[in-house]
Amino acid sequence: MNYSTYDDYSLIHLVALAEEKALGALYDRYGKLVYSIALNSVGDAGLAEEITQDVFLRIWEKASTYQPEHGKVLTWITSITRHRAIDMLRRRSARPETVQPGWAVEEEGADDPPEMAAPENVEDLVDLAQQQQRVRKALAQLPQDQQKALAMAFFQGYSHSELALALGEPLGTVKTRIRLGMQKLRALLEIEA
Amino acid sequence: MSENHVIDLIAAYALNILEADEAQQVASHLAACSSCATELQSYLRVVEQLPLAAPDANPPAHLKACLMSQLPKKQNFTAAEKPAPMHIAPEKRPWWQTLLQALPTLSPAWNLASAVLILVLSASNLFLWQRIKQLDHPSSRHFITVDLQGSPSIPSAAGVLVMDEQGHAGTLVVDGLPVLDNSKTYQLWLIRDGARTSGGVFSVDSLGYGSLWITSQIPLTRYDSFGVTIEPAGGSPGPTGEKVLGGEL
Ligand SMILES: [Zn+2]
Repeated sequence: MNYSTYDDYSLIHLVALAEEKALGALYDRYGKLVYSIALNSVGDAGLAEEITQDVFLRIWEKASTYQPEHGKVLTWITSITRHRAIDMLRRRSARPETVQPGWAVEEEGADDPPEMAAPENVEDLVDLAQQQQRVRKALAQLPQDQQKALAMAFFQGYSHSELALALGEPLGTVKTRIRLGMQKLRALLEIEA
Repeated sequence: MSENHVIDLIAAYALNILEADEAQQVASHLAACSSCATELQSYLRVVEQLPLAAPDANPPAHLKACLMSQLPKKQNFTAAEKPAPMHIAPEKRPWWQTLLQALPTLSPAWNLASAVLILVLSASNLFLWQRIKQLDHPSSRHFITVDLQGSPSIPSAAGVLVMDEQGHAGTLVVDGLPVLDNSKTYQLWLIRDGARTSGGVFSVDSLGYGSLWITSQIPLTRYDSFGVTIEPAGGSPGPTGEKVLGGEL
């Protein structure tokens, strides 16, 4: 059976019913994104592979607890990934100071959505490509210092005080930077307050 | 309460980067202040989009095979569970039976409509689905089905919409619809007193088979009929194209 045309919800349902190929189809759809988030967080290919496997194993185990009314499948998966990566950094009790997480930014005017592999569920993927482009364009408009603080906070779980220490800036400055960055993103993404 | 709004901390709270004491302070304020809670919702929507801006990296090709080989077997379907009596001949997918048997073991969040979707998806065509519908299975009393007929231009098309008793969620399965080019999509309309609300867009595979998971602000049972039209890719605010399927509750 070819699951590549099934929407995300259907795949998660099938995974909950122990259909291995449905998990494979989810991996084909989101494995690259999961790996990208993990690698950006931990900066090590081996660890990123480990996290990616953990994330999909967790989806395999927990699919029956997924509740559509609490958010999209994509959001569920990326949130598991982020937390898993930050946990991994904390368990190693040292963040890779040499690893600077970043953002893929797209300048205004770039309008080709990222290329997609293989025939897959059209709606979900067109949606993903458009969202991806939107958020990347929004990030491109933030000042570098806001981008950097947000990347460390988002991908590596730095708290305000840890950011202040790592960046060598006063706590108040760091707090403001995070807040302004988030405010600007919210406005650029046209999310109503 | 207004003097103590935690507005400056909400973005950081949404990012989950506050120190424990501050997070605690924000959480207790949010429980009592709807304007700050709304603010939080808006920042959570920003946070949920951030992972999409991780720089693209390709996992090694072996990773998928490695993952698939590690999947622990699930306990849901043990041989000890006796399949429900089925009045259909053993088909190519006997695992329907285990699926039906497993329904009660799923979490309550899994309403029956979604469970039925699984059956329908696995049935892979409406003929088999019709046979499932005729089964005297206890779960069949807890969902509502609406048959959709193909319009005169596509008489061979058919569909069925399945929802749980309360109409909280439903699934649409269609068969026999032509594959559309990329500039077009199928769109489901929920119709009530003549007003049409989009129920979502979907495509069909090369066999003309497609499915759509439907969630609705108001219970699906309150709508009186359902229709499917062909719309420009991405869907329309209201139906503009040719109607291909329709049916009444
Ligand atoms: Zn408040």
